[in-house]
Amino acid sequence: MSKMLLVLRNEFVSTVRRRSFILTLILIPLVGMLSVVIINIIQKSTGQSAGSIVSTLFQPTVSTLPEGFIDESGLVKVIPPGYEYRLIRFNNETDAKASLASKEIGAYFIISKDYLQSGSVIYVRPDYNPMSGVSQSSSIDALMAYALTNGNLNLAYRIQDPINATQVSVTNVEQRNVDNPLTYIIPYIVTFLFYIVILSSSTLMLSSITNEKQNRVMEILMTSVTPAELLSGKIIALGLAGLLQTVVWLGSGMLLLNSSTSLFALSSAFQIPVSLLIWGVFFFLLGYAVYASLMAGIGALVPSLREASQATTIVILPMVVPLVFINQLIQQPNSTLVVILSIFPLTAPSTMMARLSSIPVPIWQILLSLGLLALTAIFLVRAIAGLFRTQNLLSGTAFSLKYFLRMLFSRA
Amino acid sequence: MPSIDVREISKKFGNLQAVDKVSFTVEPGEIFGLLGPNGAGKTTSLRIILDIFKPDSGTISVLDGPMSEEKKNLIGYLPEERGLYQEMQLDRCLIYLATLKGLTESEARSRVNDYLVRFDLLDARKKKVKELSKGMQQKAQLITTLVHEPQIVIIDEPFSALDPVNTQMVKDILLEWRAKGTAIVMCTHQMHNAEELCDRLALINRGRVVLYGALHEIQHQFARDAIVVESSQDLPDGLPGVTSVQKHNGSKLLTLAKGVKTEDILRTLLERNIPLEKFEIAMPTLDEIFIQVVKESGGEE
Repeated sequence: MSKMLLVLRNEFVSTVRRRSFILTLILIPLVGMLSVVIINIIQKSTGQSAGSIVSTLFQPTVSTLPEGFIDESGLVKVIPPGYEYRLIRFNNETDAKASLASKEIGAYFIISKDYLQSGSVIYVRPDYNPMSGVSQSSSIDALMAYALTNGNLNLAYRIQDPINATQVSVTNVEQRNVDNPLTYIIPYIVTFLFYIVILSSSTLMLSSITNEKQNRVMEILMTSVTPAELLSGKIIALGLAGLLQTVVWLGSGMLLLNSSTSLFALSSAFQIPVSLLIWGVFFFLLGYAVYASLMAGIGALVPSLREASQATTIVILPMVVPLVFINQLIQQPNSTLVVILSIFPLTAPSTMMARLSSIPVPIWQILLSLGLLALTAIFLVRAIAGLFRTQNLLSGTAFSLKYFLRMLFSRA
Repeated sequence: MPSIDVREISKKFGNLQAVDKVSFTVEPGEIFGLLGPNGAGKTTSLRIILDIFKPDSGTISVLDGPMSEEKKNLIGYLPEERGLYQEMQLDRCLIYLATLKGLTESEARSRVNDYLVRFDLLDARKKKVKELSKGMQQKAQLITTLVHEPQIVIIDEPFSALDPVNTQMVKDILLEWRAKGTAIVMCTHQMHNAEELCDRLALINRGRVVLYGALHEIQHQFARDAIVVESSQDLPDGLPGVTSVQKHNGSKLLTLAKGVKTEDILRTLLERNIPLEKFEIAMPTLDEIFIQVVKESGGEE
């Protein structure tokens, strides 16, 4: 057996036999399976659909108390039908405040005198939540629409909800069901999954190298194998371990979702396609190669894992970018920013996978993204192999980004 | 043909001249001592021989030619900074390192097993390396150095962390390997061990070879004009040709006047019927030579 294969086998066996690896490999699908079982049990006992159970989990808790209003504009003549128990009129703010304090109402509105000119309404509520604003209460919308249309209910509805559009796609590809929260949760999960898998396998690379340095095995290894054999054996072995993790996680997620299609009332075409798993393998392998080589480079230069922490933060920064923009990524998977992130090599793996799990992505974008990622991986593996020299491996100095980049580009 | 031929190698780290035109040869079937104070350049010289570092200048021939990946399998190396995979089981660790030296898995397994028996480590084979005592780890390290039956053995401070019993065992093994024709390079501070084992040696100070040759020649070169005499009877005062008599490890050290030969003293003692249990030329110990040479060549760094 060639020495590279010996390194590969030893590294792979050491990694997959580690207790932490086995635990995470099993625990994640187990948590998924447990959630499905729990949802199933709730569904059976409440009769709610699984989709609505998940929706409930993601809805903010809304107060069931009625809300008060003080109409200083004089526009509100009657409370719209159906809202009699949800809205209470107060003649002055003192009474409204007292009712709020005694928890008879959950909040109150003051419709200002110049409402017609300014649209100004003050919303008074006991808690402070700058993010949710007035949007939590639809009662005031209904009240004002009804007042402005002089009690014409149909007109009031149209003001509130002017377009009730049905989208018809000319492609025969199934569009995602915007009402099903799973269509948003799955890209979230895929983004985080890719972040975790690539980060954890490339971090394994770093710890493997620094471990050999700290155990002082490096000097023995350097008189037995070449730096290139050592680096390639490690990259492939830890990549295989990570791939095993990705396939087990994605595969079990796929099985779980596909076997519970009826449970979540997903259209059959929305089942996670096998193509996602295949693209997942490519994006994982290339993304891993990029980040593992960067970590190997750090490992070659620093004397111990502790010294490496500052350096790893800089290197993994691009991986965090998709997480920062995760909302745009999921709400607007075709926006310019998201498309750029899914093509830029350092952010491509998790961004493209998130896009692929939410919408059909044009094939040219996938191939361009993969191509650029492959070029970056080749560049980095070559650069790091040059840096992976015995003198660096045995000396170990304090990490400097400037030195790291200089070595990287001079070796490529 | 020497197993190792080092010619004029030099290596600089920044402003530090770690090795400066060092030359020596190591023959098959000999134990060669590479001696010197801390930071003298011994380990750097070894690393250059092993192709871990490239020299700035000079040449090295190992087993009749430049170092190659294949030749690395014919060398056993025990580095000064011992290293084994701490989290791995002892036997798995030793077998893995042995296969990296070109043994097949089954060969590695059977030879590692033999060594574990010989080194009294068989009961510890399933333990993690970090659970072993320092001495046990040292013995395990020695197994990785020898298991592939190398033609050249390079060992840096082989006796550190060993108790007297294990020290003797390692000495016996080194002598056994020398008898098999293996070329052994030994770096050590422990001069009494070097004196006991080495056939030839090089003393390095500040990166330069300051003393080089066969052990007995070097000792003769540094021998003072003195003899060691042991007798059941007190030596008479005023022996002709003797300038002073000192106690010396239970014997008497007789310093001779200039131009006096040892045979003259022996004749005088026999003529005076003094019973002799020991009569030998006073050889300096390697320790004494080491200190003298290091002082003369500029002290320790």
